[in-house]
Amino acid sequence: MTTSTQPTSLDRRTVLKSSAATAGAATLVAGSGRATASRGPFRHGVASGDPLPHAVVLWTRVTPTDAATPGSGVGPRTSVTWQVATDRAFRNVVRSGRAATGPARDHTVKIDATGLRPARWYYFRFRHRGQSSPVGRTRTAPARDADVANLRLGVVSCANLQAGWFSAYRHLADRDDLHAVLHLGDYLYEYAPGEYGYGRENADIRPHRPAREMVSLADYRQRHGQYKRDPDLQRLHAAYPFIVTWDDHEVTNDQWRDGAENHQADEGGYRVRRARAHRAYDEWMPVRMNGTADLRDGTRLFRRLSFGTLAELSMLDLRTHRDQQVASSVPESPVGPYADPELSDPDRTITGRRQMDWLKDSLARDRAQWKLVGNPVMIAPVTFGSVPRDLIGPVNDVTGLLPDDGLAYNADQWDGYTDDRREVFAHIRDRGVTDTVFLTGDIHSGWACDLPYDVGAYPAARESAGVEFVCTSVTSNNLKDITGTPPGTSSRAVETAIMAGNRHVRYLDFDNHGYSVLDITPARVQMDWYVIGDRADRRAGVRWSASYACDSGTQRVRPVGGPVTGPVEVPAREGGA
Amino acid sequence: MASTGSPSATGSTSVTGPASVTGGVGRRSLLKVAGAGGAGLLFSSALGAPAAAAGGRRCYVLVLDGLRPGEISGGLMPNVRALRDGGRSFPRASSLPVAETIPNHVMMMTGVRPDRSGVPANTIYDRRLGEVRELDRPSDLRADTVIEQLNRTGRATGTVLSKEYLHGIFGERASHRWEPQPLVPVSGHAPDQFTMDAAISMVEEFDPHLVFVNLGDVDRVGHSDVSGTTLALARRAALVSTDQQVKRFVDLLKDTGRWERSLVVVLADHSMDWSTPGDLISLQPVMDADPLLAGKVRIAQNGGADLLYWVGGAKRREAAVARMRALAERHPGVLVAHDRAAQRSSLRLGRRAGDVVVWCRAGWRFSDPDATANPIPGNHGHPASYPIPFFLAGGHRLVRAGTTSSAHAHTVDVAPTVARFFGLDAPPGGWDGRRRI
Repeated sequence: MTTSTQPTSLDRRTVLKSSAATAGAATLVAGSGRATASRGPFRHGVASGDPLPHAVVLWTRVTPTDAATPGSGVGPRTSVTWQVATDRAFRNVVRSGRAATGPARDHTVKIDATGLRPARWYYFRFRHRGQSSPVGRTRTAPARDADVANLRLGVVSCANLQAGWFSAYRHLADRDDLHAVLHLGDYLYEYAPGEYGYGRENADIRPHRPAREMVSLADYRQRHGQYKRDPDLQRLHAAYPFIVTWDDHEVTNDQWRDGAENHQADEGGYRVRRARAHRAYDEWMPVRMNGTADLRDGTRLFRRLSFGTLAELSMLDLRTHRDQQVASSVPESPVGPYADPELSDPDRTITGRRQMDWLKDSLARDRAQWKLVGNPVMIAPVTFGSVPRDLIGPVNDVTGLLPDDGLAYNADQWDGYTDDRREVFAHIRDRGVTDTVFLTGDIHSGWACDLPYDVGAYPAARESAGVEFVCTSVTSNNLKDITGTPPGTSSRAVETAIMAGNRHVRYLDFDNHGYSVLDITPARVQMDWYVIGDRADRRAGVRWSASYACDSGTQRVRPVGGPVTGPVEVPAREGGA
Repeated sequence: MASTGSPSATGSTSVTGPASVTGGVGRRSLLKVAGAGGAGLLFSSALGAPAAAAGGRRCYVLVLDGLRPGEISGGLMPNVRALRDGGRSFPRASSLPVAETIPNHVMMMTGVRPDRSGVPANTIYDRRLGEVRELDRPSDLRADTVIEQLNRTGRATGTVLSKEYLHGIFGERASHRWEPQPLVPVSGHAPDQFTMDAAISMVEEFDPHLVFVNLGDVDRVGHSDVSGTTLALARRAALVSTDQQVKRFVDLLKDTGRWERSLVVVLADHSMDWSTPGDLISLQPVMDADPLLAGKVRIAQNGGADLLYWVGGAKRREAAVARMRALAERHPGVLVAHDRAAQRSSLRLGRRAGDVVVWCRAGWRFSDPDATANPIPGNHGHPASYPIPFFLAGGHRLVRAGTTSSAHAHTVDVAPTVARFFGLDAPPGGWDGRRRI
């Protein structure tokens, strides 16, 4: 929990101060002359993602003419060359090639660079008509059978450009001790200016472009282009490979299989809109959809990435295959409000059958030790305690936890699809699966939870299926932003009430924005929460707020006195970092 | 150390009275030693068993029967936790099917899976005898053990096994054996206090190169207590007690200078799950109600696993297996029913495990042939009971102290690890496990 309103600089111990740090992202990007290119063919930066032991996705967007802006559909077909080297001076180029692009793909370039060695840092760049892109740095995953000592990920979610500056990205890019960045969704938002911004007044710190809710393909492309111009996000993309999934706002709010809360009939068919959003996402994100870096060959986003015997990360798509959300309760009843039985209807799903079977395959003892799940919405059950009535509305605005009738279900989370959760937890228990960690975004607050098989019996039985760590938002409003109250006041009351009523919730922070760092070793998984200052301040500082860990074999979280520090450990048999 | 004469007491441990040779029986001699509690400890030794040379490597395998890995970190086992944290830990370790005591102890000492050792479960249906029985006879174990391998190299070995059936199946393989007593009625095991008295006396009296120890209290408390809420309390008490017994053993090694040249393998044979009285699965009546199967299916119940044997004609076996599987999987609480032969390469159980192998879900248990056959809630044998603690301790340089590995260790890894420690060869056909040093 944080109580300070004035974050200080990031603890210097967490950042390498040696000369090695100068090989990091900031210098790499700055090597092109400035942190970001406002003009030239590579003004949207470079990115990499989905690291495998021998391959990684490389991305850029070329602007061959000033008129060829994102979503414009204009500009010539053209091509770029690309290089991958083991050194940032590109003296040892190990892979290279040429890629064609054009307006049909919004001039984006996406390469699956193969033939690389496991657990290695690489540098990459693109060239177009004699001009070079900023240099990016990326890292391949360890070999599948490697005995890996450590994996460290930055963890982020919910970055609403209108709500503030991406200081969390900037501070994460300043670190030089990660292997990759995990983005758990809401990478961009669909809203028009004035609809969802900073604080109670929804002020636009930076208005969205286009100046309307994104609906058309051109809208989605232009919005992606706007986000990719953010200097902090560009630096982070250039520093580390990203591993991403989407939540709802990549299409529109509270989307489900055939619709969304923020989709109206006059906006056309929902499936058409979603196809546009997915197409733009495939074009603009360094991700393999349907297992490839090719475009238009499918939009399956759930996939696994392995990190030796230490960990396997299963990234979920909890929007495309889910049934429609139901109301959390049935208020009009002679006996008062009661939980809508549809919440636990076994015919309703949040994963879809195919993804559920795939997830259960991921959760097997003979796979890697730590079963990490990139989980866009919370899976821990959350029930209502005695939250003050005047805070129910604001809490619900942030989390959806507390409908006005007081029944405690967020029907947009796994709490709204309890039979799917029961199936996952039963599988874990029946198969003796240990060391499962759900990594979650979505609700603009930090949480550390055990995952009880039986909430009612949990205080005594302490039987847990795994743990869940929830990162807070990069900028999207949290409880104090909506109530307009100082940090540690009204939100503290809510946090206390919810934790008292949910003994498996061990940490809760409704006040802050920032990023997290997940550090994984065979002995334990630890999540550190870092919080930034005012989102309206583009130079906002950052400080460590809290840390929780889960020791192997325990399926429970425990508080930790401080964040991980120092460089990432490099297993001797993997060679240098 | 000689096998006769007066043992020397060390610190607070073990032998307080004189030892005496009480006579020879067949190819063995008996030695009676007074344990710390005053009870007599009875050892038998092979005639001509080698006297271990002072010094040199020692390996001790301590099986904390039925211990769940999370229980080490729960605050009740500080000594075991310190031992783990100071050694090399394998938090992803697993028991192997069938997750029962006898087969996993056999895998520890043979390094091969049940299809090679002939020991797939605690209980099988013996087709030759036409009866369900425990695999507790020395002849049931058909593979070579590291115990015998060490014996053949002139080294001394010892077994201190708290359970009657373990003492039975390992028989006279070790140079020196403790015969478990006093035995707790119903559970058929000796309390850890006595078992550890014996282990300590074994080391002090005979100083074997390898000692294989089973501590049964943690497991037996889980099995024997049916009184609801007292189960948790009894389990906690057993954890505390077993932790103290392990401490006694470690103290002995350190106090006598053995620690620095020792490898101590600590693990469980299986984990533990608990069922409620209503969550019972009795498949025998289900099979007997089927026209094809009636009277032609025998079941060996193993707690969380049922082994089903077709005793009808060979021509109908295929159809019978399909029917058995279908009926079993239709029953509430059944996780899966395997065609044992069709999945021979993954299950590795061998013919003695029958035709269909059925696992229950967590929180359930089998009770065959009828609902009264298995009244105990503590349960294992099914996948829910696979997670086990597994770590290497001791002061020998081969133990990578203070490290943790994500490697998927198994009970079958113990023998190749012991073999590596002593420089023994793999058996013909190789190990099924992997060495962990």
